[in-house]
This record gives sequence, structure tokens and C-alpha cells, in this order.
Amino acid sequence: MNWFNTLAEQIKNTFSDLYTNISEFVIDLARQFEIAFIVDDRWKYIVSGIGSTLLLTFLSLILGVVIGIIIAAIRATHDKQIDEMHPGIGKSLLKFANGFCRCYLTIFRGTPVMVQILIIFFVIMASSRNKMLCGVIAFGLNSAAYVAEIIRGGIMSIDPGQTEAGRSLGLSYVQTMAYIVLPQAFKNILPSLANEFITLLKETSIAGYVGVTDITRGANIIRGITYQSFWPLFAIAAIYLGMVMFFTWLVDLLERRFKNSER
Amino acid sequence: MNVNNDVLISVRDLKKHYRGHKIKALDGVSNDIKRGEVVVLIGPSGSGKSTFLRSLNLLEIPTEGSITFEGKVITDKKVDINLCRQKMGMVFQHFNLFPHMTVMKNITLAPMKVLKKSQEEAEARAMELLSRVGLADRAESYPSQLSGGQKQRIAIVRAMAMDPDVILFDEPTSALDPEMVGEVLDLMKSLADDGMTMVIVTHEMNFARKVADRIIFMSDGLICEEGTPEQFFTNPNHPKLKQFLQSIL
Repeated sequence: MNWFNTLAEQIKNTFSDLYTNISEFVIDLARQFEIAFIVDDRWKYIVSGIGSTLLLTFLSLILGVVIGIIIAAIRATHDKQIDEMHPGIGKSLLKFANGFCRCYLTIFRGTPVMVQILIIFFVIMASSRNKMLCGVIAFGLNSAAYVAEIIRGGIMSIDPGQTEAGRSLGLSYVQTMAYIVLPQAFKNILPSLANEFITLLKETSIAGYVGVTDITRGANIIRGITYQSFWPLFAIAAIYLGMVMFFTWLVDLLERRFKNSER
Repeated sequence: MNVNNDVLISVRDLKKHYRGHKIKALDGVSNDIKRGEVVVLIGPSGSGKSTFLRSLNLLEIPTEGSITFEGKVITDKKVDINLCRQKMGMVFQHFNLFPHMTVMKNITLAPMKVLKKSQEEAEARAMELLSRVGLADRAESYPSQLSGGQKQRIAIVRAMAMDPDVILFDEPTSALDPEMVGEVLDLMKSLADDGMTMVIVTHEMNFARKVADRIIFMSDGLICEEGTPEQFFTNPNHPKLKQFLQSIL
């Protein structure tokens, strides 16, 4: 039975090597974790980064929605009304505004957001030291272009018969929009708008390039100090994923609410 | 039929051509619609009858010509069209009820927002009209919970709630299942009997024969023939009308 003992010995050695390796690896990871987050309270870079990321995303979306509504209103009014308008200053003005909005959409949807944020920070707002403000303006202007098309799509998706019915009752164009078209369009718009928010949340990860200390920037700072990449990067990946999953869940909930209220 | 000689809508040489189309949808239409009159427009599809009807409250903007309503030239751009539309109800082929509002809200929206009636006043009037059409129990329903015939009766009530001087009907029974056509036509007949001025585009020839004071036959954007139902059906003159009547009767 000598061969059996030899084999057993070999297996034992192999596993013990493996065991040693694994435990060393785990201990190593734990040590790296400590260096990355615990020493000098470095986790604060990440946590404060979450705040910055969310703030940047919320403010950008608010700016984007406000500008987006204005652009969508101009574009939709132009598309629906221009043929009915009598020639005059109002018609010329609307045509000009529509042309301007179309240029805006083409430029902001046709260039990378990264380039836009660099231009805003280093060229247009070069004298401003408020990095968060620069970020909000850059992402807000970019997001406005997408939000505008979402809202316009929502408005145009409503049957023209609804507008005709409203107008035939003597309601003005604005009243028809406010009481009849927009409440119905809102249902179609909301899920897309929520998705735009989620996209924006991920896109803000480049804000670090102009010095906004968001989570990605926080992770990069830790990498710079500790020369450790594993934990900071996987940690923020998990945090982004967690936030996206949370907001997706919230959107689903909202959508289901709307579906239930729909008769 | 209490038709008098008071002209309510006067149409003169109305033309409409759509951009990019060679054929004119309306090619010079003139007509007078008197107060209390029930006018039925018939004609093959593409004859311009719907375009004519929709021009009367400027849902279609005519290219040329004039429309005078209650003494005001509404095709003049200085006239506030919203003010005129209050007095011209319209009923659509596809009902166009507002799906996000209850029946009651559908009916009271315009009286409250346009005529500035109080909610109680508007709702009282709405209930009165709903009872008349036998749908008082549906006040809190949503349009999607109603049958086609019920929807169209509600749409008629919505137009009536504005106390209009004329109601325009754009193929009001064309989208209905056959068994629901009757209830809508009955309501329209009772409106006609009450002396409401009505302009109706329809394919319901029996209804036209019974209810119309005057029938207008249109083809290729022109009025080919008009007359009382009697002379219209018993003694048609225009070859196109003869052909049309042959094809549908």
C-alpha cells in the first residue's frame, strides 16, 4: 500500500499549497482593502463622491428638463401650427426659433459630451472656479437636447384628433396643450425621461476630468495615493450598478402606477 | 322644421389645395346655411365634403374664399377664431373624447375653461344633457369603458354643453358597429327636431332622407347638386349624382 500513501501525501501537499495561496490572496485583498478605504479614512472620497454624483445628475436633469421643455414647445408648436399661421412677425419669429432649436439639437447630439464639457470648462467658463456649476451647465445643456426630443415625441404621439376636439370646443392652443395633450403625453414621456436620468447618472463619471470630485474622481484619488486599483474601481462599479438598479426599480414602480391608473 | 331666412353661415368661393397636391380639395364652393336648417353633405370619398365641413370652423384653413358666421368674416385673420368656435360644436368620426378624463370632465372642461362657468353650473347642465341621452349613470366612467354608440352620444353632449348655434357632424356613425348606429342617429334626429342647426357629412341615406331640410351632393371639390331630399332621391339631375346614388342604394 506504499503507492497509496505517496498519493495521499501528494494530494495533501497540493491542497495545502492551494490553501496557503488562497489564504494569502484573501489576506492580501483584505490588506489592500484596508489601504484603499480604511487608512486615513479614504472611504470618505467615495462617500462624498456619491453625493457629488447625485447632485450633479439631479441638477443637470432639472436644467435639461427646463430647457428641453422650452425647445420641445417651440418645435412642437412649429410642427403643428406653422401651416395655420397667418404671415407676420409671429410666424417669422417661430420659424427662426425653430431653426435655432434644430441647430442646438444637431450640435449637442452630434458632438461627444466629453468634448462639450471640456469646451465649457476651459473656453466658455474659463474664468469660473465653480467646477460643479460648469458640470451642471455642460450636462444640463447636453441632456436638454435629448429631453427635448423625448418630450416632442411624446407630444406628437398624441392623436391629432385630440387637439382638434379641444380646439373645436373653443379652447385656445395653450389651453388644449395644458388640459388635453400634455397630461396624456406625460404618461409616454415619463419612462423615457427616467431612462435619460439613469443614462445621465452614468455619463457624469467623466465630470472628474474638469475637477468635479464625483465617485469616479474619488476612486482615482485613492488610486493616486495608494497605487491600488482593484478595490477603488470595483467598489465604484458596484456603487454605480447599485444606484442604477435602484433607480430602475423606482422607474418600474412608477410605470406600473401609471399603467394601473390608466383606464 | 322651423327654418327661417336668417343666414347663419355664408360661404363664398371657398378653395383649398394642399401643398404638393395638384388636385384642389375644394374648388370654389359657395353656400348659405340658414339658422335652424339641417344640411346633409353627401358624395364619394375624396369629393371634398369633409374638407368643406372642417373649413366651417377653420380646422382646415381655406386657401381662398370667405366664410361669414353670424355676420363675422371668420376667415379674416383679425377675428378671434376661438370665440367663433365656442358657437360651433363639432362631432368627429372617431369621437375624440379625452381618454384621461371622466365623462363628466369631458363635458364640463370647455364650459368651465372657455365660458368660465362655475363647476356646479357646468355639472348641472352636463347632468341635464346626460339624462336626456340616457347616460346619466355613466358620468363618472372613463371613455374606454363605454361602447362606441355611448362614446358618440357623449361626444354630442360635449358639443351641446357649449350651447352652440350650429353643430358640425363629420361622419358621426362611420366608425360605429351597425347595431349602434341607430342610437346615435336617433339622438341627432331629436336635436334636429329641437331646431338645432346642423351640418352633417354622412353615408346614411335613409337618415338624410328623413331628417335633412336640404341635401348637398359634392364631387371633385364642387357642389354638383343640392335640393330637398324628395327631389334629390326621386329626380336626380347630375350624371355623377345618378351614378353615386346607383352605387350606394
